[in-house]
Amino acid sequence: MKTFEEKWTSWVDGQLSGRELSKFEASLPDKAAAEAEKAGARKLGELLKRELSAGTLTNEEFFSHQLREEIARLREAPGRQAREARSTWWTIPRLLWTGALSLAVFLVFTVLVMREKNPAEESQYLTQILNARVDPVVSPNATVSIFEVKQDRVTVLWTEGLQSLPADYAAK
Amino acid sequence: MGRSPAFLISFIALALGATPVLQGAETVWSGLVIAENVAQPQPIPPELTRIEGSLKKFFGYNQFQVIGQSQKTLKTGQEDWLATSKFFGLHVDARGETEAGYVLNLKLYKEKELLLETDTKLSKRSPLVIKGPQVGGGQLLLVLVVQ
Repeated sequence: MKTFEEKWTSWVDGQLSGRELSKFEASLPDKAAAEAEKAGARKLGELLKRELSAGTLTNEEFFSHQLREEIARLREAPGRQAREARSTWWTIPRLLWTGALSLAVFLVFTVLVMREKNPAEESQYLTQILNARVDPVVSPNATVSIFEVKQDRVTVLWTEGLQSLPADYAAK
Repeated sequence: MGRSPAFLISFIALALGATPVLQGAETVWSGLVIAENVAQPQPIPPELTRIEGSLKKFFGYNQFQVIGQSQKTLKTGQEDWLATSKFFGLHVDARGETEAGYVLNLKLYKEKELLLETDTKLSKRSPLVIKGPQVGGGQLLLVLVVQ
C-alpha cells in the first residue's frame, strides 16, 4: 500500500487517474494550495530539465573545443619540431668556431705562460751531452763520464783511458 | 662560413706570431786548450775567464793555453767549422738551433785519427768542456762557449 508521500509524488507527476485520483484529491485538506504546489513543482522540473540539457550542450562544446585544439597541435607539431631543431644554438659551424676559438685562446695563453717562465728556467739550462763515443780500436779501455758544475753552469765530458801523447802534441 | 677561413687563419697567425722568435747570429767560440801545472803560469785567455775557477778546481791545473781556436757566427744553426792545432782538429757540425742553444756534433781528430765523437746540446748560457788525452805533462781540453 502506497504512503501519502508516494501518492503525492505520483499526483504531482500526473500519474494518478480514475478512482485513485479522485480519492487522493478528496483526501487533500486544501486542494487549491496543493494545486499551487503542484504547478510550482512542475515549473521547477521544467527549469531543471532545460538547464540540464543546456549543461550537456556546453560540455559537448567544451570537448569539441578540446579536440580541435589537440588536432591543431598535432598538425602544428612537425613544423614546431623543425623550428626547434633550427633554433638550437650549437650548430655545426658554431661548434667549429667555438673549437677554433678555444684552441687559439689556449695557444695564446700557453705562449704567454711559457714566455713568463722562460727567464727563470733559462738560468738553469745546462749544456747536455746527448751521447759520446771513443774509438775502441785506438783507446780500448777508455770511458766517458758527464759532470755538471752548476755554480758556473759548466758541463764537463770527462774521458779516462785515452791514449797518452808526447808533449810535442801540445804544439800550436 | 664565408669568413670562417679568414678568421681562422688570423687566429692561427696571431697565436704563431706570439711564439718566441729564435735568436740567430750568435758566435760560438771553440778552442783546443792545453792545461798544465807550471811554476809561473801565464794569464788565462779572455775566452776562458768566465770559467777559470771551474777549470782550475775541476782539472787541477794552473795554466791554460789555447793551441787552436775558431770563432763561428751562426746564422742558420746548420753551419760547420774546424778548430785546429798542429796535431789536433776539432770538427764542429751544428745540426739545428733551439731556444736554449745549438745541437752540435763534435769530432776530435789526432791528425786523421778520430779519437772522440759526441753529440751535445750546447746551451747559450752554459759552456762545454771536454777532457781530451794526456799530452806530455798536461791535458788537452776542448772548450765550447756561446759568446
